[in-house]
Amino acid sequence: MPGMVLFIILAIPLAAGALSFAARKRPAMEAINVTAFAVLFLFTIVLAAEVLRAGSISVLNDFLYADALSALVVVLTAFVALVCSIYAVGYFRHDERNHVFEEDVLGSVTIAKLRKYYSLTPLFVFALLMVALANNLGVMWVAIEATTLTTVFLITFYGRATSLEAAWKYAMIGGVGLSLALFGTILTYYSAYPIVGTDSVAGLNWSVLVKNAAQFDKTSMRIAFILILLGYGTKAGIAPMHTWKPDAYSEAPVPVAAMLAAAVLNCALYGLIRFNVLAAKCLGPQFGSQLLIFFGLLSIGVAVPFVLVQRSFRRLLAYSSIDHGGIMILGLGFGGAFGALGMLLHMTFHSVTKPLLFFCAGNIQQHLKTDLFRRTNGGLIYSMPVSASMFLMGTLAVTGTAPFSMFQSEFAILRAGFDRALFVPATLCVALLAAIFTGFLGHIVKLVLGADRGLPPAQVCRWKKYPLVGLGTLIVILGFWLPSPVFQLIRNAARIAAGEP
Amino acid sequence: MHFYQDPQFGNRMLTLMAAFVLVLQIAMVGQRWLITNIRIFAAQSFLLAGIANTIAYFNHAPHLYIAAFLTLALKAVLLPFLLERMVKKIDIGQEIAPLINVPLSLLISGGLTTVGYVVAQSFHRPAEAASPASLGHNTLAVAISLFLIGFYMMISRRKAFMQVLALLCLENGLFLAAISLTYGMPLIVELGVFFDLLVAVMVLGILVYRIQETFDSMDVSRLSRLRG
Repeated sequence: MPGMVLFIILAIPLAAGALSFAARKRPAMEAINVTAFAVLFLFTIVLAAEVLRAGSISVLNDFLYADALSALVVVLTAFVALVCSIYAVGYFRHDERNHVFEEDVLGSVTIAKLRKYYSLTPLFVFALLMVALANNLGVMWVAIEATTLTTVFLITFYGRATSLEAAWKYAMIGGVGLSLALFGTILTYYSAYPIVGTDSVAGLNWSVLVKNAAQFDKTSMRIAFILILLGYGTKAGIAPMHTWKPDAYSEAPVPVAAMLAAAVLNCALYGLIRFNVLAAKCLGPQFGSQLLIFFGLLSIGVAVPFVLVQRSFRRLLAYSSIDHGGIMILGLGFGGAFGALGMLLHMTFHSVTKPLLFFCAGNIQQHLKTDLFRRTNGGLIYSMPVSASMFLMGTLAVTGTAPFSMFQSEFAILRAGFDRALFVPATLCVALLAAIFTGFLGHIVKLVLGADRGLPPAQVCRWKKYPLVGLGTLIVILGFWLPSPVFQLIRNAARIAAGEP
Repeated sequence: MHFYQDPQFGNRMLTLMAAFVLVLQIAMVGQRWLITNIRIFAAQSFLLAGIANTIAYFNHAPHLYIAAFLTLALKAVLLPFLLERMVKKIDIGQEIAPLINVPLSLLISGGLTTVGYVVAQSFHRPAEAASPASLGHNTLAVAISLFLIGFYMMISRRKAFMQVLALLCLENGLFLAAISLTYGMPLIVELGVFFDLLVAVMVLGILVYRIQETFDSMDVSRLSRLRG
């Protein structure tokens, strides 16, 4: 039965969460998480292969549904979860050795903290996978809300006063944003209601809605799309609802921050794509396109000043993530075959590159015990050759410098803009990206290069080093060669995102 | 025909209950005491369950009975109970200390209600008399007002605890919108939303508790160390 793989994919993280919760020792939890995510990643590849072969698969009367778009997001989620789980082993061991956990104001025990991380993370991954696999747009909303709820306590992991502040902003801004998205979902249901009729199970199934979208009620669909854009935009950290992002990214443990930046962003954008297809079919492409271009440019623009004068490298990465969310939204707004393709390529490359940057930042922060630029004096390349050089390479990759793959995806997005004669937004985008490139690279060069300060070489354990080397190699390879099945998957997903049958 | 089979009667009952829901919401804006606010929320949820029941009865939408029951059990009984226990346990100051004074807040709420009615007008589809909105057109206006006033409460209250309550009011507005527009969402979605709501209140409750422990205050304007 081909649908079986959907159940397995959802069952693995649930089982891993339960097992980690029951485990007593740290090594057991580590082993459970790494193994579970490795197996999960294999099964998502099986799913992608199935989808490439069959087009789409569904089970339970279409309750779970996977087409190329969901398969792509699922594979990326599982990939990010896997690399983060490997890195997390070394990261938390380092914290434990350095007695970081004892700084907690409420003083909870180390093993309890680790159990929290290792059992909440699989649940979080489960919610992320559910977002992509749920056919019902209401269930998708429930899953996105669940990603917020499972991560609140991961952000408060260190129990500092500042992490409570970050978690509070995250929960409240996310909660308000998602209530807007729920309103949008209700209105979508309302606009579809006279056409698809009432059905207490399948009434909001995307696969049904998309076939009838042209006949939906236009007024309510228009308001619904605006609400969805604001709601899921908040979750994706699109300006001006981005304010939770720098706080949450800088306070959460590094593996959690990397998952927020790479996986949650994808899932929120995935929700937006699904609704964008409906709105484009119902209202014509023009309406959504203008809004998306506006918010995309706004996000890139908001990131510029904060990147230029940034004081902390963890927060710098958050603003970079706001910028990339904006680029992807812009790609969706430019639309057409190239726009959607560029957006999904960008999503793929971003999911590979962002974790690398977070891991490098994590290694440096753990070594220097600070994330502020002014407390670092440069010359890190001498004391931490691997992390520092990877950080520099990752920076070049993430700012879209030529040989790296994100250059190609940004190029595709810009080309989509010029194809549609949207010269002003596309040119503005180039200018803003150049400013971000300058600021970002300037900060990192000052951190990494410079005279040797004579710091002792850092002891970086292999759990913290191998994910860096692996991701770095992958990024270099992706710059020159994208395996054809992967490209096929992305191209099929782009067709769905562009609303082609 | 008995009066309880007459759709006209159902319509009037709905309008009456929706009006009470709105009155309670505005009362919450005007209220200064935490415990009273929680009880007003409970009463409001109770009325919402009544509205859901009425719609289910007059429109033969049996799955709404389940939603009505869950609203009653969860939002009218369980959540208020949990919230009150939390207020007593962490012994937070009883007064709410709003940023904007009460008369002005009431005035703003009145304005937001007007906005709600104007927005609801645009959804009115007189051509489709059989569509559900014809039953509860006023209800939709109340729902949007609830949503907007919930937003307003969220930004005008400083205590973390009150923001949680405001979020719940927002959710009440959404529930009312869903049942007045489309007889509620598909059942599976409704169940998921209730589950999320329950977990959200617990998560936020623990967070509020830890903020109180750490900062010795629930004033969220003190949460301002992270910037840039």
